[in-house]
Amino acid sequence: MFEPMMYTGGVYKHGQIAELVEDLGGYILQKNIMQTEVVLLILVPIEDMAIVEAKAAELLGKLTRAPLTGTEIATVAPTLAYHHLPHLDCDVAEFLRKKGAKTNMVGLARGVGKRICQLSAYERDLINEHDLAVFILGNYEHCIIEKSKKLYEGIEIPIVVTGAPELKTEDVPNATAYVGSFGRILHQMRHAEELRTLDKLAEVIGNVFDNLRKEIAKDPPSVAPQRIKKEIEDQVQEIIDSLHPLPITLQLNGVRVKLPYEEYHEMIENIKFVEGVTMKEVAQVLPSKMRNFILIKAKPKSETGFVI
Amino acid sequence: MEQLETFIVESPDAVGAKTTRILIQDVLADLSLNRVIGRLKVYVDPVQPVFIFVALLRLTTPAIRLKDFAKVDMGALGKDEIKIELQREAFTIKLLSKLWEKYGKEKIEQPDKKIIIIKVDPLLELDGMKELVIEEPRQEVLDRLIDAIALRIIPEGFRVRKHVLTPSYVSFVASEDTLKPEWIQRGKEMLASLQEAENV
Repeated sequence: MFEPMMYTGGVYKHGQIAELVEDLGGYILQKNIMQTEVVLLILVPIEDMAIVEAKAAELLGKLTRAPLTGTEIATVAPTLAYHHLPHLDCDVAEFLRKKGAKTNMVGLARGVGKRICQLSAYERDLINEHDLAVFILGNYEHCIIEKSKKLYEGIEIPIVVTGAPELKTEDVPNATAYVGSFGRILHQMRHAEELRTLDKLAEVIGNVFDNLRKEIAKDPPSVAPQRIKKEIEDQVQEIIDSLHPLPITLQLNGVRVKLPYEEYHEMIENIKFVEGVTMKEVAQVLPSKMRNFILIKAKPKSETGFVI
Repeated sequence: MEQLETFIVESPDAVGAKTTRILIQDVLADLSLNRVIGRLKVYVDPVQPVFIFVALLRLTTPAIRLKDFAKVDMGALGKDEIKIELQREAFTIKLLSKLWEKYGKEKIEQPDKKIIIIKVDPLLELDGMKELVIEEPRQEVLDRLIDAIALRIIPEGFRVRKHVLTPSYVSFVASEDTLKPEWIQRGKEMLASLQEAENV
C-alpha cells in the first residue's frame, strides 16, 4: 500500500529525497520547480514512511499527506458563461490541483436551468472517464435539489456537489457528498473563510477517495497505475516529446496517455513487464473521449488471477 | 464601495438572497456601475421560478460632440477644406478614428497637434461636422448595464425575459417558463415603490 504525499522544500539536495523514495520502491509522480522551491508529489510505501519523514526533516522540507495525489477530477460547470467562469470554477480547479489532483474543467452545453438541464451522451462518457466529478452549482436550495434529480443521470463515478446553502448530503439526490458555502461567487475566493471552504471541499473529496481506495484494495488492480506510468515512460520514447500537461495522467485504477490512439495503442498493448506479462494481459487499452488520447484501465485481480 | 440608496433582495430562500446580494455587488463593482444605479430591488423565487430586477438609474453626462471641445471653421480661403482647432486633446484619438472612418485617411491632415484639416466641401459638411458625436458615455453605460443584468446577474437558466429600458429606470422579469402576468405586475409594483421612495 502506498501513501500519497506532497514534499515541499528547497531545490538544494531535493534529488536525495527523490532517490530515497525510488530506492524504497515508491514513485515520483510529479515534480514542479518554482524558482528556489520544489514541490514533489510522491507515493511512499506505508511501512517506510518514517525513513522518508526523517529525510524530509533533515533537508528542512515539509511532508504533508495529499490524498488527492494521483487522481483525475472533472470540475463540471453548467455552462462556460460569465455566471460560472472564471472565478468560482477556476478557483476550485486550481485549488484541487494544488492539493495534488489533476483537474479537467468541463462546461456543459445544455446544463442550465432546473427544468431544462440535460447532459449529452458525449459529456456523460467524458465525465465517466474521471475518478470523481465536482458539480459546481448555484445559490438556491430548490434549484440544487431539483437539478440533482436529473442532471447526473448515467454518471457512475462519485459526484461531489457544491452550492450556497448548507444542505445535508442525504437531501441532495444522487450526490456522494455535498459541500455548502459556495454558490455562484463572482469574485476570487481569497478571504480566510472562503479558503476554509475550499479546504473543506478538498477534505471531503479526500475522504471520498480514501473510501474508494479501500474499495479498490478489496479487489486490487493486477498492475498499479503508477507502474503502468513508469513502464510507458521507459518504453515509449515519444511520450517525452509530448507537450501536454502531465502526458501520463494517473487515475485511481488506470492512466490516461496523451498520445494518439490509432498510432500508439498497439505499441502500448505490447509493452512487456519484467514479470513476463504484456500490458494487454493486465489492462484494457481504450480510446479516450478526450481528443484522441488513450485510456488505460487496469484489470482487477479477480479477472486475471494475479498481481504484479 | 458607494452604498446604493435602496438595495433590497427579497426571496423565500434566505441564503439564496444573501448570496445573490453579494453577487450583484460584485458585478456592479466589476463593471463600475455603482454610481449609475440609484435604487435597486430584486425579487427571486426559485420555486416559481421567477427573477425580477428593477432599478432606478442615475445616468451621467449626455453625448460629447465635436463643437464641445473644438473650434470648427472653414479652412484657408479658396480651398475646399474644414479646419478643426482642438481646445482639449483628450478626445483626439477617438475624433481621428471617426474622421478616418468617414472621409478616409487621405483627406485628413494634421499639421499641428491641435489642428486637423479635412479636405471636403465646407458648405456641405460644416454644420454636420460640428454636431459629430465623439463619445457617448450614456450609451456605453447602458451597454455595460445590460451586460451586467442580462448576462451576469440573472440566472442562466432563466431564458424567457421581458425588459423595459428607459433613461430613468430599468426593469427585467425573467423565468425558465412562460412569464405569468402577475410577475410582470409585481415588477411594475416594485418599480412604483422605488419611484415613490425617490420622490419623497
